[in-house]
Amino acid sequence: MEDTKNSLIIALQHHDIFDLESPNADTEVLPKGIAFSFIKAVHAVNQRLVSHNSSESLGFEVILIANECSEESKVKIVENVKHYGMEICKFYFCKKDEVIKTLQSNNVKLFLSTDSDEIYKALHADVPAAVLYDQTGVLDQLKVTFSGDIIGLPEDSLDSLADLGFSEAQIKTFKSAKICMKEFAGLIGEMRRRFGHENSPLCTCLITVWGSRNICLSALKTLGGWGLDVDEAFCMAGAPCSPILALVKPHILWDGGLHNLRDVPNFEL
Amino acid sequence: MSLDPIQVMKGPDPIPNTCPSASNGESKASWEDSKDIHENTKKPKTGPVRRARKVEGGIFFPKPENAVTIAVSSRVLFLTETEQKVFEQKGVEEYLRYQVEHENEPFAPGPAFPFVKALETVNARLRELYPDSEELFDIVLVTYNHAHVGVRLINTINYHNLFIERFCMTGGSSPIGYLKAWHTNLYLSADAEKVQEALAEGIAAATMFMPEKEVEVSETQLRVAFDGDAVLFSDESERIFKAHGLDKFFEHERENENTLLDHGPLKGFLEVLGKLQKKFYAKGHRLDCPIRTYLVTARSAASSGIRALKTLRAWGLEIDEALFLAGAPKGPMLEKIRPHIFFDDQMFHVEGAREMGAFAAHVPYGIAQKYPHKKSTNAGK
Repeated sequence: MEDTKNSLIIALQHHDIFDLESPNADTEVLPKGIAFSFIKAVHAVNQRLVSHNSSESLGFEVILIANECSEESKVKIVENVKHYGMEICKFYFCKKDEVIKTLQSNNVKLFLSTDSDEIYKALHADVPAAVLYDQTGVLDQLKVTFSGDIIGLPEDSLDSLADLGFSEAQIKTFKSAKICMKEFAGLIGEMRRRFGHENSPLCTCLITVWGSRNICLSALKTLGGWGLDVDEAFCMAGAPCSPILALVKPHILWDGGLHNLRDVPNFEL
Repeated sequence: MSLDPIQVMKGPDPIPNTCPSASNGESKASWEDSKDIHENTKKPKTGPVRRARKVEGGIFFPKPENAVTIAVSSRVLFLTETEQKVFEQKGVEEYLRYQVEHENEPFAPGPAFPFVKALETVNARLRELYPDSEELFDIVLVTYNHAHVGVRLINTINYHNLFIERFCMTGGSSPIGYLKAWHTNLYLSADAEKVQEALAEGIAAATMFMPEKEVEVSETQLRVAFDGDAVLFSDESERIFKAHGLDKFFEHERENENTLLDHGPLKGFLEVLGKLQKKFYAKGHRLDCPIRTYLVTARSAASSGIRALKTLRAWGLEIDEALFLAGAPKGPMLEKIRPHIFFDDQMFHVEGAREMGAFAAHVPYGIAQKYPHKKSTNAGK
C-alpha cells in the first residue's frame, strides 16, 4: 500500500469477518460474517480516495486479530481472506488475554466488535472501540455514527451522571470513549472532506439518544471543532432509537454502550 | 339549491360513540385503534425497554406510539425562501456554506409556526389535567437537510422558545422511512413529492403555505379545519362530480345517503384530535376546550351534506362546527374561523384561503390532482 503515514488502522476479529457459528463453517470456504459489508465499504472509500489523488496518504487499513486459533484455523483464515479478495494488511494470532495489548501496540485507531463487553474492556484500557453494527449491508456507503450524548456533554456534566444512576465504571467508559472519538472524528472528517456532499462513499451521522436538543447542538459544535461536519443528525430525546438505527444502518456505532442501557431518565444541560 | 352558506353547530348532543372513550391515563389500546390509517405499521419490538420519566419541571418526552406525533419540515416551520433560492440557483455546496455563514441568525416563523405554537398550548393544558399521561402532541422536526444546517435550526428553535426536542436531519435521504419510525400522525412539508409519498404510505400529510395577508390566530385554542371530500372522506363523490357533473353527483349522493363514505387521508388525524378533546370534556372543559375542529365543505346541508354527517357520526367522530357552503368560496368563512391549519385537496381552495389570510394546507390526494378545479365553475354541491 502507499505511504502509511496517515492510515486509519481498524482492527476486526476473525469471528466477525467470518460466520463461524454457521453450519457451513466446516467447509473450506468460510461463510461471510457481519463485517463483510464493512470491509467492502472501507475498500470503496480507499479506492475513491486514491482515484481523486493518486498520492493520497490518507486511507483505511484493516487488520485482523484472531485469538485461540489452531494452526489449521490460522491457515484457513488467511486462505479465506485471500479467497474473498479482502484487503487485510496484517494478521495477529494471539491468546485471548493478549488482544488488548495487541491493539495497543499497533496504534489501532479503532477496534470494532459486536461484543459490548469487549468494547467496554477496550475503552477502559483507553483503546478506541466501537460497535460493529449488525446490518445486512444494503449500502455501499461506509456509515459512521457518533454518540451525541457523550460528545455533547461537557466534562463536568459527565461526572454528574452519577446522580442519574450511572455507575463509576460506566462514566469512565464514556469519558474514555469521548477522548477516543476525538482523534477518530478528526481523521474521518479529513477523509470526508475529500468528497462532495453528494455521491460520497463515506457518510457520517450523529445520534443523540437521551440528551435534549441543546446537547445535540453542543455535540454538533464540538464535532465541528474536532474537524468533522456530520451529514445526518438525529435527536431522540428518549424515544427508542432501534427503529431509527435500523434505517440509518451504520457500520460503526460509537456510543460507549449507551444504546444498550435500560431505564435511564432524560437529562439536559 | 341554496347558495347561502348554512352553518350547522354540533352542540353537545349525545352521538352514538363507536370509539372507546379515552379518559384519564387510558389503556394504550385506544391509541392503537386510532392509528387504523397506518395499516402496515406495526409497533416495533425494540430491544431495550425505555420508559420516559419525569425530569425537573414536570416536562418529559412521550413515547412516539403513545403521543400524537406531528412531523414538520424546516421549510414549513420556518421561512427559508432566501436559502431555498441559494440552493436552487447555486447548488448544494453553496447552500450549505450560506447556512453555516448565517448560523447565528434565526429564521423567521413559517406557515406551520402558529400551528406548532398552538399544539404546545394544548400540551400545557393537557399536562395540567393529566400530568402522567403520554397522550400529548409530540413535534418532530423531519428535514432532509444536511446536519450542517442543524446548528442554525437548533439556534432558531431556541430563539423562538419552541418545545421541539426531537429531530431527524437525513442529509438528503428520503425522510419517509423515518416518518414511520416516529409513528407520525401528520406530516407537514413544503415538498409536494414527499407529501405524496407519505400519503401513499398511509400517513396524513399536506404541504403548507403562508397566507398572503397577515392574520392573528388564537393563542389559547387550536383550530383545525378540514375539507370533506378527498380529505376526511375518500374522493369517490369527487370522481362522480368530475366525470358526470353536478346532477349525477346529487343523484348519487341521494341514492347512497345511508352508505358510509370511505375514509380519506386525514380521517385518522381528526380522530386523534377527537380523543384529545374527550380528555378535556372528561374534566369538565367542554366549553373552553383548547381544541376546536371544523368541517368546511362545498357540500350543501340540505342534500349532499347529510351523507357526510351520517358518515362522521357512524365513525364516532365529533366535529365541532360543520360549514356547508353549497359551492360558495371558502375564503370568507375561513377568515372568520381563523384556523391554525385548513386542509383541502384542491389548490384552488388553498389559494383562495391564502388570499383571505388563512393558513392553508394542500392534501395532494385523489382525483382533483389530475383534474384541477377551473376558476370559472362555481357550482354548488
